[in-house]
Amino acid sequence: MGKMIYSILKAAEDPGHLPAVLSGMRGISNADFHEVSYDDITAVVCDVQKASLVTDRSATMDYAGVIDSLFKDFTLLPVRFGSVMESEGEIRNMLERNHIEIQKNLLKVEGKVEFGLKVFCDTEKLKAGFNIKPEPEAKSAGKPGTGQNNSVYMDYVKKKLAEYRLEETVLSYVNSVIKEITECLTGVEATGKFKKMASPANIIDALFLIKKEMTAELIRVVKDLQTRYPDLNFMLTGPWPPYNFVDVTIS
Amino acid sequence: MNENVIDRSRDITILEVLDRVLNKGVILTGDIVISVADVDLVYLGVKLMLSSVETMEQLKSGKHLSQSNG
Repeated sequence: MGKMIYSILKAAEDPGHLPAVLSGMRGISNADFHEVSYDDITAVVCDVQKASLVTDRSATMDYAGVIDSLFKDFTLLPVRFGSVMESEGEIRNMLERNHIEIQKNLLKVEGKVEFGLKVFCDTEKLKAGFNIKPEPEAKSAGKPGTGQNNSVYMDYVKKKLAEYRLEETVLSYVNSVIKEITECLTGVEATGKFKKMASPANIIDALFLIKKEMTAELIRVVKDLQTRYPDLNFMLTGPWPPYNFVDVTIS
Repeated sequence: MNENVIDRSRDITILEVLDRVLNKGVILTGDIVISVADVDLVYLGVKLMLSSVETMEQLKSGKHLSQSNG
């Protein structure tokens, strides 16, 4: 038997509230939740038979559901699925050892929510729109070593050069969209992370941490961006607990 | 709205949930205990990151190891 940790949160301000919330919830294999606290931080855990810990869509979605429910009432740090410790004592020691780091992260995400923004586009259509032409043919007649082999080589180089220029142009376009997104979000005071060209279709994969009360403004900004870029598809997801803005690794 | 679009959005959202739950948050670098559906318990060692259920399925079938080895 082990203790599966769902999240670490700050419950000290209203000690009676967390037990009330947990009493209405069930963990993995229908187990009850309980709290393990150190100072003002609390780990929400439930008993788990290690052998019955199955990772499938249903278990992970249930896990996310518990974190979502807790997130409605508490500032929390989600813990990665499958994190099991042997005993309450071990968990308490872990909280004590990492107290400063956990406090720092809780402070960073307090009153904030995470949003994901994916920008999709038809990259082939986009490339076609840039209309990059191949390099003009070089004059090589009469020079030594300019036979058929050299011509094949030149064709290859020209093709690669054109591909490179096209990729550079796409990347430059992606950078300009990111710049515009960043400028539009100035008023939202978002902390952002951007990943370019996550896949050929997903040209921007961004994450934002914003104050809860800025949610409506973020949605407005994204709608506005969608109107300005009709050839791109903006997909906003959230509000999420701050999964991507937690920086705690515990050994 | 087209039903396909709704389905696709739902799939993407599920992937977003799985990516967060399996990859993000506070990371305990001790043993992570996981089993995959009908498969025996798999103990994933220290600092082994899971990228997706697919990765675990690869682990289960041994593909991951054989790819890593060669």
